[in-house]
Amino acid sequence: MSISILPIAPETLTQMLNAMIPADADDADLYLQHSISESLSLEEGRVKHVSASTAQGIGARVIKGEVSGHAYTDCFETAALMDAAKAARSIANHGQHRQPLAIQPLKQSYQLYATENPMQRMDMMQRKSLLEHIDSLARSMDSRVQQVFASVSASFSQIHIIRMDGAHLSDSRPLIRLNVSVVVEENGKRETGGAGGGGRFDLTRLIDTNEAESLTREAVRIAILNLDAKAAPAGTMPVVLGSGWPGILLHEAIGHGLEGDFNRKGTSVFSGKLGQRVAAKGVTVIDDGTIPDRRGSLHFDDEGTISQRNILIEDGILTAYMQDKQNARLMGLAPTGNGRRESYADVVQPRMTNTFMLAGQDKPDDILASLDEGIYAVNFGGGQVDITSGKFVFTTSEAYYVKHGKIQYPVKGVTLTGMGHEVLQKVSMIGNDLALDPGVGTCGKGGQSVPVGVGLPTIRVDELTIGGTKA
Amino acid sequence: MSNTMNHSPKASKSMSDIAKQLLDLAKKAGAMHADALSVIDTGESVDIRHGTLESIERENSRGVGLRAFVETNKGLAFASASTSDVSEAGLKKLAEQVLTMAKISEPDPDAMPPEGAEHPSAFELDAWQKKYPHQNHGWNTEQAKNAALSCEAAALAYSDKISNSEGASASFGETSIAYAASDGFIASYERASSSLSISVISGEGESMQRDYAYTQARQAKQLSPASEIGQEAAERALRLLGASGLHSRNTTVIFEPRIASSILSHLVSAINGRSVLQKRSFLNNAVNEKIFPDFIHISDEPDHAKGMGNRLFDGEGTRCQARNIIEAGKLTGFLTDRYAAKRLGTTPTGHARRGLTGDTGIGTSNLILQPGTEDLDAILHDISNGILITELMGFGINGVTGDYSRGASGFLIENGKLSRPVQAFTIAGNLKDMFANISHIGNDLTWFGAIAVPSIAIGNMTIAGESPINRV
Repeated sequence: MSISILPIAPETLTQMLNAMIPADADDADLYLQHSISESLSLEEGRVKHVSASTAQGIGARVIKGEVSGHAYTDCFETAALMDAAKAARSIANHGQHRQPLAIQPLKQSYQLYATENPMQRMDMMQRKSLLEHIDSLARSMDSRVQQVFASVSASFSQIHIIRMDGAHLSDSRPLIRLNVSVVVEENGKRETGGAGGGGRFDLTRLIDTNEAESLTREAVRIAILNLDAKAAPAGTMPVVLGSGWPGILLHEAIGHGLEGDFNRKGTSVFSGKLGQRVAAKGVTVIDDGTIPDRRGSLHFDDEGTISQRNILIEDGILTAYMQDKQNARLMGLAPTGNGRRESYADVVQPRMTNTFMLAGQDKPDDILASLDEGIYAVNFGGGQVDITSGKFVFTTSEAYYVKHGKIQYPVKGVTLTGMGHEVLQKVSMIGNDLALDPGVGTCGKGGQSVPVGVGLPTIRVDELTIGGTKA
Repeated sequence: MSNTMNHSPKASKSMSDIAKQLLDLAKKAGAMHADALSVIDTGESVDIRHGTLESIERENSRGVGLRAFVETNKGLAFASASTSDVSEAGLKKLAEQVLTMAKISEPDPDAMPPEGAEHPSAFELDAWQKKYPHQNHGWNTEQAKNAALSCEAAALAYSDKISNSEGASASFGETSIAYAASDGFIASYERASSSLSISVISGEGESMQRDYAYTQARQAKQLSPASEIGQEAAERALRLLGASGLHSRNTTVIFEPRIASSILSHLVSAINGRSVLQKRSFLNNAVNEKIFPDFIHISDEPDHAKGMGNRLFDGEGTRCQARNIIEAGKLTGFLTDRYAAKRLGTTPTGHARRGLTGDTGIGTSNLILQPGTEDLDAILHDISNGILITELMGFGINGVTGDYSRGASGFLIENGKLSRPVQAFTIAGNLKDMFANISHIGNDLTWFGAIAVPSIAIGNMTIAGESPINRV
């Protein structure tokens, strides 16, 4: 099946475009989507939750200056489609219509990920066997393992964008995810640990690469480690962040604050700071939607802008915001390929793709050894930011108390907090070990969730507030 | 009726008809038992900013979900799936897909099909319909836009220190839901909703502060006045101006109602029968134990004049009943669906929650923490020193151990009075201790949709701020 075949007749779509675009529109588009997702999960030794969903629909959008009109429907009857077109136009009900345009396929080449259904080579029975294997593996790794939860989910989203100029772009986006978590028990004390991974690739890779075994080992290791975790200190201390997923620091502390909508509206603590120092020398932060197979990568964003590698901070200086088309136009800047929507039923917002800091020169061991007293945080759960004041938090899932450069003991999950516009100015060492996360990030904004990636080399932050309980 | 229904070939077919048809298709495909949900959502959201229209979003969505059970020699196995394609072909495909999946799913000897649920009677269904007749949300685009405009105008006029607006948003919509099960139970209902929200900014540059306010109700006429919501957001953003850090300490914190609702959510997660079965709760062995002080009473009330969570039956068709979850500090039992109840050897409490696809979850209807008699001033006076928490950030809660660590902002309490705004600190403890250390409950019961809660004061929390705790 060719992915460029539209599920609705081009004549009907042309009719919609003609009805919805005012002569003075700045932008307009149609977004068609058909997506399937399947999920299997195991608990208490049984793969007893098997579920699937199919969603198809079309979103219509008209933009004029700062104003936008959106409508969506999952009914492909002509009357419902025309209703959506008219509703999208309701922001500009007066004036002329734009001249009709023919829908023309735009020549595209795909390179970042296979535009194929990631489930087709691994049927549900095989996925079930994989989960059962994980269950017995986890239990065999340590007798303290009491409960194993494992899930494998995959989705395949076929999208079409018809732009105002009639250009038709299409993409097919695979996305898979494997999660393992365990509950361990020793002397009546219970703890939990988890690990996950995935990306825009075929499910069979989970078998070919031994991913299942390494995630299971990791989940068990973290749970056992947490059995011995002690209370973390309370107060301000230097922190060494490990490489990979701790890059969530960048996502929360500065990433959201550099999204174009907030900066156009002047509501971000980074508003008006282009060209200014926002991070220590040596800190370069990039948002890159073009890394092959990554969770946050896209051939083009949800407005049809080709994905690119954007340098947000270069050697400590703020160099760019992340933009969708509307905010870029209003700020007199170029779109950056960051216009994303969760689905046809959602509006486009400037969003991150894969956000990471470039490697520096320091050896990770030296960075840890530099900590006279502090926290070494290797892995994290989620985080959150208030882009206006800059306050942000993120919560550890694996962290250690360090004294005289040496790890002393693991500490319980603890929230770290700081101010986004200050924290990167306190980065004093940058490791040579940049790593991207294993493919687990989901970013929420305005009620929409999109897959993202993060990355970080080992870094030292001279001051963060550690939300422990130990006096 | 909504536009969708008029345009669809299903127009003549009600939501109940679609759900029933799915059951027939499932039976034909080999299902032993099945239940189906059918949902239509229509609505509109109008955003304004700085006095002009920013966007209009119109929603028109449909979906059906099917869960089917097949019999095996090891017990029943089941699967579920949903689709937005409600054409004849789409429904048939869905039924066949679910049956194929159910045969892959591992049987569970305790699996609970819809058969045998304590359904409400036809008489009860009828009485409920009469008590809560469907009423329109009562808004059109223009009215919603005007509400948003007056809300923002009130916020911006509140003070010249309100420096910017993120805009105001007014939404309205209708949801129609039908549930049908293979034991013959079928019910459908419609629900309207409306809401108004705003977020504004005080101050400039790096001293900016943002806060929000909102109101939600079934019908627009039940919403709080737009100007009140605008003023509330402005007042909240304004009072945070000049917020600074604070030193680490152990102290009493007061959660204002907006924040206190999260404490109830943590309780509900911990007494979720499924989590208990999976040993994922720090309250695993707490039934009949006193986990709160004597003066704490928490109830779930599925039929309450002020609640937005009213329901006659739960996600499995089980009749819902009012329940005291915490009686004089004591946990009366876990919240269950039929599966968890069977495994735990108790009676189902009617707390099943269902989406179009996936397994049933567990959730409350209207959760209410009974208020106390003291107002906030009296509590402040009583605790003398501490922190009033007005915002929490992050997800630092371990459901297995109860360990708690979150980012916070609020106001320092000194000598029984609010002294200054504080931010960028954390509060930490363990939920078990936090429940037990509740020292005061306010008289300021506040509703947030389907949860009602007053201010809560909790003693002996650890605050991490600008200095190590032992070096202040």
